[in-house]
Amino acid sequence: MSAVIEDIRLQPAMVVDDVVKRFGRGDELVTAVDHVSFNVQQGEFVSVIGPSGCGKSTLFNIIGGLLGDYEGSVMIGDERISAPHPAVGMVFQEESTFPWRNVIENVAFPLELQGVPKSERMDRAHHFIDMVGLASFEKNFPSQLSGGMRQRVSIARTLVSQPKILLMDEPFAALDEQTRLLLGDKITQIQQELNQTTLLITHNLTEAVQLSDRIVVMTYRPGKVKRIVDIKLPRPRTSDVVGSDAFGHYVAEIWNDLREEATRGMADSESAAARRGSHG
Amino acid sequence: MAATGEMKAPARRAVAPAIGGAPVTARAVLLVRVVVALAILAVWEGLSRSGLFYGEVIPSLTRIVASLGKLLVDPVFYKNLQVTALETFTSLAIGAALGVVTGIVLGANRFLMRAFEPYVYYLSPTPRIILFPVMIMWFGVGPASKVALGALSAYFAVALSTAAGMRQIDAILIRVGRSFRATGWQMATKIYLPAMRVPILNGIRLGMGTAIITVLLAETKLSNQGLGYMIMQVYTRFDMPGLYAILIVVFAIAGACNALIGKLAREQV
Ligand SMILES: Nc1ncnc2c1ncn2[C@@H]1O[C@H](COP(=O)(O)OP(=O)(O)O)[C@@H](O)[C@H]1O
Ligand SMILES: [Mg+2]
Repeated sequence: MSAVIEDIRLQPAMVVDDVVKRFGRGDELVTAVDHVSFNVQQGEFVSVIGPSGCGKSTLFNIIGGLLGDYEGSVMIGDERISAPHPAVGMVFQEESTFPWRNVIENVAFPLELQGVPKSERMDRAHHFIDMVGLASFEKNFPSQLSGGMRQRVSIARTLVSQPKILLMDEPFAALDEQTRLLLGDKITQIQQELNQTTLLITHNLTEAVQLSDRIVVMTYRPGKVKRIVDIKLPRPRTSDVVGSDAFGHYVAEIWNDLREEATRGMADSESAAARRGSHG
Repeated sequence: MAATGEMKAPARRAVAPAIGGAPVTARAVLLVRVVVALAILAVWEGLSRSGLFYGEVIPSLTRIVASLGKLLVDPVFYKNLQVTALETFTSLAIGAALGVVTGIVLGANRFLMRAFEPYVYYLSPTPRIILFPVMIMWFGVGPASKVALGALSAYFAVALSTAAGMRQIDAILIRVGRSFRATGWQMATKIYLPAMRVPILNGIRLGMGTAIITVLLAETKLSNQGLGYMIMQVYTRFDMPGLYAILIVVFAIAGACNALIGKLAREQV
């Protein structure tokens, strides 16, 4: 019996194997994701980091099943992802709350789709709203909340469906640094509370080191895996870890890899801007 | 909801400086409206007393008010009002339901949209009343032919406005629905419809306007009940104060319905 449980534990929650995604054709062909492989263990927090335009959102959409047409495989158990999978819960980079629903109705949305009876879904939604610290805003509409609060609503809405794998695409990109650190604390806390397997897509280095067990560093165009770094900072972790020496080492080490890619990305977007400029 | 009201209140009172420098306040706007209304009434009364027009063409305000008073206690008026209201409401319900469905289908399917857009687009501004004889042949001289015609005119307004609203939906909300594996029906009822409630309500407002016009017009042509029929009767009696009294009531009711739906649409932000 215990051997079986051991086996399940050892099995990765998700395996990304040799994934390739190209857009367009001919001269316009862009390889957004180029032979990317890595896996995520049960209960693990993995970040994918890379400069803008390196194919992170493309990878996010593939894993989320919103981009079914790709090469290679993303496996959950023995299923290859080609459509949204019930085990995966997505949190999007963009503002994605429903403006016509108040906070609790927003969070209860996935349960409503599953046909969970009203009183139960309100209870469950309440639990996760509490978890993200919005208990006193349940009846407010998104337009009455700050950007950070709306992003927490989106996170609670995804958590309420109790996904085996939480998949987030730069959920804090639009937030200021302080809010970002504090929300990071919330995420760490939730992840530890639920033993939540999480894949975070980000371009923010401190965020990645603060939160992750492992970081997948991507190259800029084509988006390949440059390196995978284990983050052996102690858990439980809070944003205080940001001040520690070990944290600084990790940041410096990964920045070394990232700088080169970010520089290429910057040069690329500058020459693109110049091309646009010369075209008038 | 109370909180929304509180937060939006200042915006509505916004004191934007007008070009002339005088601040645009709700009060000033109201004042201008009242002055305009009073001026129209004064000119009317002046023309009526000048004797420039033949007999009853421009009856005095006091006679119109007296007719209005009589009309408002006349059971025949209420019977006709009921007929017209029911015809309009039914035609709007049918036209709007079909219009929303058409709009969603066209909006969701680029191929169908391209195929059908010219029909919806170029047919919608044609005057429906020319189809009235056809409707009479199909549906008879009773309320059914008016309802059919009214539904047809409301249909186009709602379909066009829904299709346009469909294309303006924030794509991220659709991706959220897909990521939670919403069924087609759930996508339609829990995402598309609520996301389009403002354009749909605006389409219904426009549709109601054309439905009222079409129903009244059809009633004036061929019928034995309804406000349109009543207008023609009053007209053949050359009862001008009575005619104006009915028109005032029709304007008031149409305006009130319009304001109500407009208010609903504005609240949904
Ligand atoms: N639907 C698409 N069609 C064409 N090109 C796309 C599409 N989506 C993304 N790309 C291209 O793929 C590359 C990676 O984009 P993306 O995955 O959004 O990067 P990131 O999220 O890392 O900023 C970019 O060059 C982008 O222009
Ligand atoms: Mg992105």
